[in-house]
Amino acid sequence: MLEWLQRTSLAIHIRDSLFAFPLIESTHVIGLTLVFGTIAIIDLRLLGLASTNRPFQRLAADTLKWTWVAFVIAAVTGALMFITNASVYFHNNYFRAKIALLFLAALNMLVFEVTTRRTVGHWDRNASAPPLGRAVAALSLVLWLGVIITGRMIGFTTTRAAVAEPTPVEQNLEELLGLPGNE
Amino acid sequence: MKQFALWLSTTSPSVYIQEHNTWAIPAIQSIHIVGIALVMGSVLMIDLRILGWAWVDQTLRQTMNRFGPWLTGALWLLLVTGILMVIGEPVRELVTFSFWLKMVLVAIGATVAIVFQRMVRRHEQRWEDTLVHSPSVKAAAILTFLIWVCIIFLGRLIAYDHVWGSWSPSEQQ
Repeated sequence: MLEWLQRTSLAIHIRDSLFAFPLIESTHVIGLTLVFGTIAIIDLRLLGLASTNRPFQRLAADTLKWTWVAFVIAAVTGALMFITNASVYFHNNYFRAKIALLFLAALNMLVFEVTTRRTVGHWDRNASAPPLGRAVAALSLVLWLGVIITGRMIGFTTTRAAVAEPTPVEQNLEELLGLPGNE
Repeated sequence: MKQFALWLSTTSPSVYIQEHNTWAIPAIQSIHIVGIALVMGSVLMIDLRILGWAWVDQTLRQTMNRFGPWLTGALWLLLVTGILMVIGEPVRELVTFSFWLKMVLVAIGATVAIVFQRMVRRHEQRWEDTLVHSPSVKAAAILTFLIWVCIIFLGRLIAYDHVWGSWSPSEQQ
């Protein structure tokens, strides 16, 4: 399965391109910073530390749809990076820890949805959520921080995929733009 | 700049980070990413308010009061962690095209953030009544967001500066 993923033409295309991986990785950073930035707005509201003058439901309506858009961007770009070197990432401990933390973050969110959020009518305008909601919010911040740290560690503990046919060094932006390169 | 970077890499703070690079560099970078996240979240919300897509029950001033301090605070955090990364890996950072283009955009982005906060505070009524509805301010909001997106791209491209070809000083050795 992992070997097959690495042999797909998409994976080969990304590996062989000089620009694809850096651009996908940059887009991943844009996605993940927006995920964390918007989730932090929600969590700080639940904890009673920011936006306390706004009803929770209104804040959630303003914020969470952007979290999901950003999450899809991060997930798609993450998957694209994964397939370029699937067997290496799969066996990397930081990668595994990151996936575990993502599952815990999802579980944490699910707990919130089926408990505290069901009673939102009672606390929507309160400065902070009930104790369980505050615990979920604090845990959410910790888990997502963990996702960022383990994610960054993956880059330091894996080597880039071996490229079957290395891109010639002279193929770069100038060539792409048709500029005369300096010999 | 190469000379300066090489000198910087021999100073004791730099040597300290280099000797502890297995945890120091990823740790600093992770904090830097958290700072970027706070900037992106804040800029997104302020821009959505200007576009009328979110926070419409709040005035522009109220939205600024909520996110302005976080934006400014995060920019300071980014400056500190950014300087630490330059000290830790001077040649990797300073001898790249991506880094310097990023710095130009950061200067623009940070100036916009600070000047905008001041203007809204000083001419509050005019901003709430007319300016926030003007197409050029809405366009500026989108442009500002795109500047931060480009900054993230350039920040990550520091690690891949060869994509710039001969524009990258690290390729000219």
